[in-house]
Amino acid sequence: MTKEAVVGASIKVKNASAGTISDAQGMFKIDVPNDAVLEISSIGYKSVEVRANFDQTMQISMISVNRALSEVVVVGYGTAKRSDVTGSVSSLPKDRLSQLPVGDVLQAMQGAVAGVNISTGTAVPGESPSVLVRGVNTINGQTAPLIVIDGIPFENGSLSDISTSDVASVDVLKDVSATAIYGTRGANGVILITTKRGKTGKAAINFNTYAGFENFAHTLKPMGPAEYVKKYADWKEQAGVTNDFVVPNLYEQQNYAAGITTDWLKEIQQQGFIQDHTLSISGGNEDVKYYVSGDYFSEKGVLLGYQNKRASIRSNIDAKITSYLSAGVNLNLVSNNSDGGRASLTLASDVSPYGRFKNPDGTYAIFPMQGEQAIQSPMLGTLNNRNSRRQNVITNVYVELKPFKDFKYRVNAGYTYTPTLFQNYQGRLAGDIAGGTAAVVNSESKKWIVENILSFEKNWNKNHIDFTGLYSAQENKLFSSTINASGFINDALQFNNLQGANTISASSEAISTQMVSQMLRVNYNYDSKYLFTATARRDGYSAFGANTSKYGLFPSVALGWNISNESFMKNVSFINNLKLRGSYGLSGNQSAVDPTSTISTFTTISIPSNGHPTTGVIADILGNKDLKWESTYGSNIGIDFTILNNRIAGTIETYNTRTKNLVLYRALPSATGYSQVVTNVGKVSNQGLEVSLRTQNIVGNNFKWETNLNFSTNSNKIVDLYGDKKDDIGNRFFIGHPVNIVYDYKLQGVWKVGENPANQDPNATPGDLKFADIDGNKTITSDGKDQTIIGQEIPKWTGGITNTFHYKNFHLNIFIQTVQGVTKNNDAINFKDFGGRQNLPSGLGYWTVANQSDTRPKLTYVNYLNYGYPEDASYTRIKDVTLSYSMPKALLDKWKLGGLTVYLSGRNLATFTKWYGWDPEVGYGITGDTQGNYPLVRTFILGANITLR
Amino acid sequence: MKNYKILAAVVIISICMLTACKKDFLKETVYSKFTPEALNDSLAFEAGIVGLQSQYSLWNTMNEDNNGNQGFLCVWQMGTDVAYNKAPDDLDPVSIPYTNYEKLNSANGAAAFVWKWAYNIINNSNVVIANIDNPAIKLGANFRNKIKAQAMFYRALAYHYLVTLYGSVPLITKPLTAPKTDFVRAPVKDINDLIVADLTFAKVNAPAIDQLVAQSLPNKSMASQLLAEVYLRIGGKDAEAEAECNTIINSGDFSLVTERYGVKASQPGDPFADMFIYGNQRRSQGNKEAIWVEETENPASVPNGAGPDLQSKFPGYRFLGSQHRRVWGSRYYNTPGMLLCDTLGGRGISRMALTYFVLNLYGANDMRNSKYNLRRKYYYNDPSSPNYGQLVAGPGIDTNRNIVPKTNKWDQFDPNDTFGSSMIKDFIIMRLGETYLLKAEAQFKQGNKGGAAETINVLRTRAKAATVNAGMITMDFILDERARELIAEENRRMTLMRTGTLLQRVTGRGLKITGISSRNLLLPIPQSEIDLNKDAKLEQNPGY
Repeated sequence: MTKEAVVGASIKVKNASAGTISDAQGMFKIDVPNDAVLEISSIGYKSVEVRANFDQTMQISMISVNRALSEVVVVGYGTAKRSDVTGSVSSLPKDRLSQLPVGDVLQAMQGAVAGVNISTGTAVPGESPSVLVRGVNTINGQTAPLIVIDGIPFENGSLSDISTSDVASVDVLKDVSATAIYGTRGANGVILITTKRGKTGKAAINFNTYAGFENFAHTLKPMGPAEYVKKYADWKEQAGVTNDFVVPNLYEQQNYAAGITTDWLKEIQQQGFIQDHTLSISGGNEDVKYYVSGDYFSEKGVLLGYQNKRASIRSNIDAKITSYLSAGVNLNLVSNNSDGGRASLTLASDVSPYGRFKNPDGTYAIFPMQGEQAIQSPMLGTLNNRNSRRQNVITNVYVELKPFKDFKYRVNAGYTYTPTLFQNYQGRLAGDIAGGTAAVVNSESKKWIVENILSFEKNWNKNHIDFTGLYSAQENKLFSSTINASGFINDALQFNNLQGANTISASSEAISTQMVSQMLRVNYNYDSKYLFTATARRDGYSAFGANTSKYGLFPSVALGWNISNESFMKNVSFINNLKLRGSYGLSGNQSAVDPTSTISTFTTISIPSNGHPTTGVIADILGNKDLKWESTYGSNIGIDFTILNNRIAGTIETYNTRTKNLVLYRALPSATGYSQVVTNVGKVSNQGLEVSLRTQNIVGNNFKWETNLNFSTNSNKIVDLYGDKKDDIGNRFFIGHPVNIVYDYKLQGVWKVGENPANQDPNATPGDLKFADIDGNKTITSDGKDQTIIGQEIPKWTGGITNTFHYKNFHLNIFIQTVQGVTKNNDAINFKDFGGRQNLPSGLGYWTVANQSDTRPKLTYVNYLNYGYPEDASYTRIKDVTLSYSMPKALLDKWKLGGLTVYLSGRNLATFTKWYGWDPEVGYGITGDTQGNYPLVRTFILGANITLR
Repeated sequence: MKNYKILAAVVIISICMLTACKKDFLKETVYSKFTPEALNDSLAFEAGIVGLQSQYSLWNTMNEDNNGNQGFLCVWQMGTDVAYNKAPDDLDPVSIPYTNYEKLNSANGAAAFVWKWAYNIINNSNVVIANIDNPAIKLGANFRNKIKAQAMFYRALAYHYLVTLYGSVPLITKPLTAPKTDFVRAPVKDINDLIVADLTFAKVNAPAIDQLVAQSLPNKSMASQLLAEVYLRIGGKDAEAEAECNTIINSGDFSLVTERYGVKASQPGDPFADMFIYGNQRRSQGNKEAIWVEETENPASVPNGAGPDLQSKFPGYRFLGSQHRRVWGSRYYNTPGMLLCDTLGGRGISRMALTYFVLNLYGANDMRNSKYNLRRKYYYNDPSSPNYGQLVAGPGIDTNRNIVPKTNKWDQFDPNDTFGSSMIKDFIIMRLGETYLLKAEAQFKQGNKGGAAETINVLRTRAKAATVNAGMITMDFILDERARELIAEENRRMTLMRTGTLLQRVTGRGLKITGISSRNLLLPIPQSEIDLNKDAKLEQNPGY
């Protein structure tokens, strides 16, 4: 049996208010009256009561209990001991909440929780990643789980509003029985975030700080001068163009003659920088406890103009007013700023290395390849005056009353106010041809919620029973307005004098939704051996169709058996704990029903007449009055175990869900006059297996090695679409296949010179992509018969492994994640229509007669079939490595500090993938708004956590 | 017992709060869009007609699809007798299959857009036509008939496009209130009957052109002109077609432009060219020949002046302004020594060019072939160029990618926007010149070659071209005359498909055409339409 310091144990004088917590060495000092009894408690240890000894330093031992079991987890409208939980609830390992260079708790969760798949669609600073819990069970609804912060659903703003250093714990409700208590919002899983609160004892002052550098994690270089010249020559040969030019356009020819080249990717780059500083003060006595913090986070991006800053204040106060009445307030004020005119990664990749960077007068050349005006300078965006702000004011108050023994009545009232502001001005030097164009967008979201929660708890003999009842109402309102103005006298006043524009146009939108909910939960257990939970929730939502009752009922039931508590297990010494649990339930998804989509509506439109705008109306949406929530039925079976003297702890779970009444924005034939209609028709199923393991591989006095491993696999299938078991080829939905698939032609190579395509694709010429003639009709057709399912966009399996090594005061943490079985269209190699005119990625390996590629077509290839260039986007990433050092006590005493840890952390250190492009995870699109094209960054930071005495 | 009092207070407060949530707490309200109930007065119906015109205008203002393909307008010209693909390096899968016909398949973007465009108009017309007779809405009979007539005009026009391009198509005459996926192709005769009935109502009940407040909305002469074309397409109705043309000609509302007029009347030019100068194109600006003009304003001074943005309604397409100048105009700016300028017509990109057939089509002194209407010569205009003022060698129409002879009808130049992302110019969709050509065709088809010659001579006299006699009139001659008069105005492909002459006309006249066959007398039904129509089989046209 080894002994180690118990850090952060709570020490209280029995029947008095005095208290403190133990420091990083497990030491504490406390002034006590005579005959005082100390109550010492800490998560993971059996609580101890000892009489204070005044004569000497006391040495108090605590006995470790299974940490996982004594842990308290948040389960929604209350908490439960891990050993009593019957549903599937995963907790984020606590070490993911500190010492990582992330601005968003989701980034810390990526790869670390079984069954939770987090992916970064865009790496732009300030953007949140997307989350998927246990696969996709909707097609058009949101797939993001419900986020609940300190008991109140968090629906306005982004999770990046929450400072990670304020987060005490993150629990994820995964199975349907656990999420059913969130009714029509539960089906995608629920992430419950608990923020830090004050504890009884001396004030703890913590300062957490880090700062460091960011750079491109990987670069898809565009062709350099020589390669570009060669490409143009090859293109001319393939296109049959004969001219004497080495490079195509006027400016390029001038720069070529003068030997001037530009590395555009370098021009749009800057040194990225990330920092976060949090100061928190917490403490309190028996009557009032407080946690107050201020946080400043900033990330200066690796591309010009990209940045994000966040400042936030949190104040969590709990007051015990009388023995039966307590109240509290949680206040969170957040200000986000991602201002900045942004350079374009897309254009920097497209523009010729011989393009003109600056004009003789020092301004940026608007068309660097003048002669050709299709590609603007990637620098122009940096000239824009662009502001993007979001504030979030989150206030929640509660009153808790214990009127009688065993009863508790709590009222939560919350109000959230989220204003956003976007301003942009594009002036003449930035290529604006309308005499300056300004846009201002204001939006304001307001939400109130009132929850009445009545609970009852009773223990007798070996029986435990508790009830929780809820009645709640909430309302969300959004108003947004947009003003576009153009044609200003000059660029001096930017977007501040919109009335000075030649043309001003405006638009606005107003949405309001209401919800009313009731919920009841019963927990019963006998001797902590047999566990039973039943819940029912009833949700009413205003956006459901007028022909429905607007209310849905969501019941669930779950059973647990703590086998290791049985007497017959007493002698099985290698098993410390064993629990079997199973559940079945129903939860819903309301997000697929957009407000007002149940009502047919008309929209306005403007055309000019006699020199003035004239407004007309046209049919807009075909409404559906029968529209209601999506229903997910699901079962879950899990085993929790701890074996070999607590050295190995783990959970294995399997689940099976089926979602029906899927809300489909089903595409309609154009002959209807509409593009789509929204209906409850489809069915989707999900099956999966999740494994989490926590092992202590080496436990020595000076050296310890622990491993945390998780693995999840999910199989997603469309069961039915429109009730007739028929595929929907138009929408790319196929019965028996996942929702998000890549359906495309099957690439067999590239037609070579001398090959005869007559029996496969008679129109093909050498250098064209060679597709399989799947239907064998000796031609490649666009009617779907030569296309097939190439892969799925949601990974087949994901995993994460964390190895933590402790040597004396050093700690090393290495986290590797993997995502396997994903296919995505690779836009970076889809040349579209610009083959001869734009630059291409270096080393693309396009087809030429001399060098006949098997994967890339010739430069003049015409993509008549709209082939999407799908590729395997699986990857394995060394996501982060953290080395930390905790100062020894002697130094702390000398410096009069409570604790000091310094650390070095790196993120996105190496990626292993077959993907050709920027990154297999982060999206890169070449059409539409390409501001989201931003490289994944590699970050190195140096940080410190300081606790004052 | 203080705690009981507090409990009682909290319970009472929360009960009050909950009962405040009345039964209609969950009733849904639409705040920022119109519901059918909100469209219940004469102003709403007038807005419905404006809405229809906006949906019609998308044909002209559709700029590109989401893949950046901009060749939609080329589809209707190149690969016929009048124009050919000038941009083989410009890899545009929307338009290339209309010159390399072997590549035309059911995934083609142009075929898909037209289908969607037409049925969108049909649905919006059906909404107006179905609701205008609702007795609960108080409206005068004349007003009801006027609105109905205008809506029917758009519906007939959309069906006429569909039948010409696809043959038989689904026939829908009522607005949809629920999804439908079992469309079948209706007999062409049924559709023609509806078109004729709609236009017959419209030509009587629509306002005369001078009764219109908004000039671009349907008038009765538009209905007559469209009806004449429909009769010619149907066949066996040539006398009726001629009568419709005569109704317009004899209305006294219109006259051919024979004198100089308008904003550039004092500059060198001719009457025919004056019609196509922005500022002269509308009736209110002096163009008495115009029957239907779609108006455009500079978006820098009138919001949505170059057309509405409808990306939400037409996902997959962008509506940022017309491509007419760009597809027809010359890409001279790409030649060293040449600068973008007004007199050369602004920035074109030579996506297509006129065939030798058109360039050699005019006789001596034909005004329509004047340098004000057809540019054949270019001079270096960059004062810093050593070649300044000299004639640009060529322009050989086959050899020079950038500089081509071109029609000036779509010339447009904005010194504040030399790139010209949107073309600021009106669209003359119908004019009296074409009425004479339709009349001549109707006369010819009735065997009245003399009458046809006389009718065509009205146009040739205006153009100062030699007159013709009855012996010279053939269908080919009428199609030639249409090219002389209406080049870059008429939808040439639809004219040749309507008259069934596409295959014979491209022989010896078209350029760079491959793979054309009789299947190309109809377009492919869009594959997505066939796929989505899952409860009935929508037959594909033969050969696709």
